[in-house]
Amino acid sequence: MIGAGGRWTSGILVGGSILAAAGFAWPLFAAAVPRDAQAAVPIVAFALVPALVVALALTLDREMYTAKTVALLGVLSAVGAAVRIAGTGVGGVEAVFVLLVLAGRAYGARFGFLLGLLTIAVSSMLWGGFGPWTPFQMFACGWVGAGAGLLPRVGRTGTGAGPGSRLEARLEIALLAGYGIVASYLFGLVMNLWFWPFAVGGGTGISYAADAPLGDNVASFTLYTLVTSTLTWDTVRAVTTVAGIVLVGPAALSALRRARLSGTRPRSTSPRGGGTRTHPSTAPGAAAAPRTGPRPSARA
Amino acid sequence: MFRFRPAPLRAAAFLAVGFVLLRAGYRVLFAGASGPGLLLLDLPRIPLAGPFSQIALLGPVTAGGLANAALSALPVAALILVFGVLNAVLDVSRLFARGAGRGPLRTVSRALVIAWATFPALLDSVMRVRVAGRLRGGERSIPALLVPVFEQTIERALALAASMETRGFAAAHVVDGACERPVVMTDAALGFDDPQADEPERGPDGQDDWHLADLNLEFAPGTLTVIAGATGSGKSSLLHSLSGLFQHFFEGRQAGRITVGGANRAGTPPRDTAGFVGVVSQNVRLSFVAENVRDEIGFALAVRGVAAVIVDQRVREIAGRLGIGHLLGRPVHALSAGEASLVAIGAALASRPILLLVDEPLADLDAPARVRVCGLLERLAHESGVCVVVAEHNTREWTGAADAWLELRGTRAHRLEAGEVPGTAPAAGPAGLAPAIPAERKHAAPGAPLASIRHLSVRRGSDLVVDDVSLEIASGDVIALEGPNGAGKSSLLAALALPVARGTVFVAGRDVAALRPGDRRAAVALVPEHADDLLFSTTVAEECRRADRAVRRTEAAGDAQPTAARFAGLLGLDLASARHLLRRHPRDLSAGERLCLVIAIQLAAAPSVLLVDEPTRGLDPGARALVGAALLRAGRTASAVVFATHDRDFARTLATRTISMQAGRVANGPLVGAP
Repeated sequence: MIGAGGRWTSGILVGGSILAAAGFAWPLFAAAVPRDAQAAVPIVAFALVPALVVALALTLDREMYTAKTVALLGVLSAVGAAVRIAGTGVGGVEAVFVLLVLAGRAYGARFGFLLGLLTIAVSSMLWGGFGPWTPFQMFACGWVGAGAGLLPRVGRTGTGAGPGSRLEARLEIALLAGYGIVASYLFGLVMNLWFWPFAVGGGTGISYAADAPLGDNVASFTLYTLVTSTLTWDTVRAVTTVAGIVLVGPAALSALRRARLSGTRPRSTSPRGGGTRTHPSTAPGAAAAPRTGPRPSARA
Repeated sequence: MFRFRPAPLRAAAFLAVGFVLLRAGYRVLFAGASGPGLLLLDLPRIPLAGPFSQIALLGPVTAGGLANAALSALPVAALILVFGVLNAVLDVSRLFARGAGRGPLRTVSRALVIAWATFPALLDSVMRVRVAGRLRGGERSIPALLVPVFEQTIERALALAASMETRGFAAAHVVDGACERPVVMTDAALGFDDPQADEPERGPDGQDDWHLADLNLEFAPGTLTVIAGATGSGKSSLLHSLSGLFQHFFEGRQAGRITVGGANRAGTPPRDTAGFVGVVSQNVRLSFVAENVRDEIGFALAVRGVAAVIVDQRVREIAGRLGIGHLLGRPVHALSAGEASLVAIGAALASRPILLLVDEPLADLDAPARVRVCGLLERLAHESGVCVVVAEHNTREWTGAADAWLELRGTRAHRLEAGEVPGTAPAAGPAGLAPAIPAERKHAAPGAPLASIRHLSVRRGSDLVVDDVSLEIASGDVIALEGPNGAGKSSLLAALALPVARGTVFVAGRDVAALRPGDRRAAVALVPEHADDLLFSTTVAEECRRADRAVRRTEAAGDAQPTAARFAGLLGLDLASARHLLRRHPRDLSAGERLCLVIAIQLAAAPSVLLVDEPTRGLDPGARALVGAALLRAGRTASAVVFATHDRDFARTLATRTISMQAGRVANGPLVGAP
């Protein structure tokens, strides 16, 4: 969506994501490493993920450096951070995914990824929650946003233009809601994975054992993640996300698309037209006035 | 960089303790809490089956086992605490602010600065929308809260982006401007693709259908030109065809040739001409990109990479010239409307422009601030030699200052001759509604008091914004509430619609503060100044249906007419001819139409008293007449209408009574019952 983007950029983004995924999954890979080096695995993972956050942010930085993108990233990450912080008091009602999914869908995977990164950065700044966990949260949220941008089109038109008919609009919301469920559970899973050995420590039935066979570790982890979050937080998160997407999705998507991030002009057949922002009195003025009101008189 | 705040430390302490407890919990649950020491709980050990066969649950719990668990958790808990301390003393946001100008992470760091500066606005917007939800009769649904906030956020993003663009953000090929010929337009034409149409519009003869055409204009240095015309006539388009936002940001189409300081506008984006074109946008508050006034004024220089010392010097010089030196340290969200305008002008002057474009600078200002802004722009033109172009429908204030007038009529820009006054040509469209004001209303005999306000006071913080106001409203009244900015008009209206204390506002003998939301709306309804806050659906029709449903829910309906029909009626249309409006997105309506939509929604419960805050703000004469007629028509549904305004003429043509407020008090004595 945003620019053509070089093959290099895509390569770096995909490669970086795969490396980061390995960083998240270190407890499952550690057994493959020579015994002497096993102790170093978590340390490598903890250094790798933040470095990758910086590397991918650097990769996207030049491409995203336009006034509109930066402004949208800024205000949307403020909204995301506010939603995230407002949600912490309500026990796992993490509505921030709603924003990430909708923005990722409207503006594409790269925007969604950066928005995920920034939302975590801003909220961590705001309540002072920076720590070794921050880069992992950033990546996980970035993936949620990016994934929404990679979902298939609905109907004839692309993600930027928005669907044409009413049915297509509903299908799109259903698709996003489905994705929201998957993303909620996967998010919980990957966040548990890297932290599991630290959370449980040694000496229990579900502890991480570097020298145990992979099957045992997977079984331990499965039980851990079921008990810790899948049945509780993740389910609440999935429900919140779906409810949010269904309730505010149509209006929010149309608001995002009316802002038209891309330079390309979507050709839409929707009744209202696929994305023209016209707030006559309040908006920065320029675009607003001419499209409304007395067009007929102006045409005369 | 360094400061102390206890909250992160407290949060970290909670987390650390929670972590230790959690680990002990895991040990108990998964058979890991046995060990030496006192046996606390002798739980049975339950082995699992299948793939989990190596795992067992529960088992005995001993004091030593728990102590071990807690001890093993200490390193991680300590790490959490260490980061808590770091977060408590390090101010990371300042770090990002430093990187925002340049460097390889400038996108991310600038976005972070914007996010940071967005929070106060976000908070304001949430507060306002919550009040709006209450005004709409307890609309507590999630979309009612989130959608308006979200719309405002996107709007802010676009305004910010436009303002950053015109100040040289992300400029790649900076162009130098020639001072002698700031603006030359040759056979230029401007047009938008109709959002309704699939293809760009073509006239019947296959020609492009232009919004403005045959523009042959030249503006000289040291002159002040005012572009006048109704809302929607294309003032902003013409202005921003010079700033370049029209072509490069709002995706308008341009034909012919427009050169700005010698640069071809069609081929040069705004960011590349920021060095010699200054732009002051319509809603200056939305366009602020920095947190404080100093950074705001210096923004254009900072993004160009000018050394901090020079930026600082230049900022102080500008501030001194505009007389706002005392504001430099102030956060931008703490500025008054007049101060905000001056700061925005200062920010546009940072790069010493030869062309200064100003979009409706007077809309939000009261009389003294208007004089100040007009005087400032005049001096910039006549003393500093800047070519100043102003788009404005408030033409009266500029009569002394302007050197040239352009009036937009139809698709043409007319240069007015000396002595000609803009607005004398017959305006197209809804202006014709003005005589529709029924004369008999003005002489309606006041009946028994419909509403009475008794000793109403409103405090905001330590200020008394409404001070012991008592008045009575009779059936048939159309009351204009006048007074300068900050006189307490809005606070009074808000307190009438949502009274805090009992015993202050009575409508038809009932205490409004004691009523349930549905009944309260049947007594008093308010259309707030930011009327858009009440809108959150994706079509006008849906918005109207929602209003009808809300009324049915509370069973307060006294008026069987559906909201859509009432909306059409307020516009002077029948339902069939308003059908194309009903299909639109509410925010695609013109400002006047949108206000009528909100009035229609607020009339759904057939309120006895309708309150409207600043109905004419930012409206041109045509839209003002439309809203004026709508207010009178609203008077057929509501028994009385009260509107706050600082538009004298508007008040005079509509009102049966005028009440002035000054410093929180109703000015000319007790007005109880006096028409």
